[in-house]
Amino acid sequence: MTYDDDAAKLTELGRELAGIDLDAASAARIAHRARRDVGRGPSLVRFIEPAIATALVTSYLVWAIARVFEAFP
Amino acid sequence: MVVRSPGGDDEASWVLGLRRGEPAAFDAVFAGYRRRLYSYLVRMTRRRDVAEDLLQETFLRLAQHAARLEPKTRLGAWLFTVAHRLVVSWARAQSVRNQLAGDLPRREAVGDERSPLEALADSQAQLALERAFAALPPAYREVALLVGVEGLPPAEVAQILGQTPEAVRQRLARARTQLAEALGEHAPASWRAP
Repeated sequence: MTYDDDAAKLTELGRELAGIDLDAASAARIAHRARRDVGRGPSLVRFIEPAIATALVTSYLVWAIARVFEAFP
Repeated sequence: MVVRSPGGDDEASWVLGLRRGEPAAFDAVFAGYRRRLYSYLVRMTRRRDVAEDLLQETFLRLAQHAARLEPKTRLGAWLFTVAHRLVVSWARAQSVRNQLAGDLPRREAVGDERSPLEALADSQAQLALERAFAALPPAYREVALLVGVEGLPPAEVAQILGQTPEAVRQRLARARTQLAEALGEHAPASWRAP
């Protein structure tokens, strides 16, 4: 059997499968939720955690370096 | 039900609109792909609630990625790639959850009770078909759905699944064999040996 033959037979079978759809309310909710994000990129919340971690690490490093300079002026 | 991809011109204008952040373009894509993606997700997860969550996540990712889409993006392949990855992640999480549950008692299947998916079938032949697809291993079922229902070419299916086209061909051949065995007398006449 060739790929085309397999694909044709599966397509024939696929025609018999009933389509499944969401209820209208769920579809509207999903569309509304996602539409708000179009063109806005990922949510800012995604960046807050790494930003806080970076700030903490940086301030700790600055503090540690300052202590080193204090100890060995 | 065979639903082909929207026309190339439609796709190109939708991608252009998405890149510009136009909600109308998103609405058009949502209307064009919602049913196809949902059908695929329900048949892969066998759960409507999970399929609904994954559908929402798929379209959220499209919305968030809209401005960065390449002008020649094939939306069908893009959306099914995201949906496929979400299904894989969900299946992994399910597997871990089942392992953690250990010896906890599981809900047994009840007699001849129909699953929500099977309840859609309005004839014995359709019921047999739903059951035959559901009985396929997920990797074969996925290829059978993407090729047989979505009409996607092997190269695109291979890209969506992260497989070689040859692997896709093999899975399709095995899916066909297993479906023919499972369907038995319910198989289309053209499927039976001459």
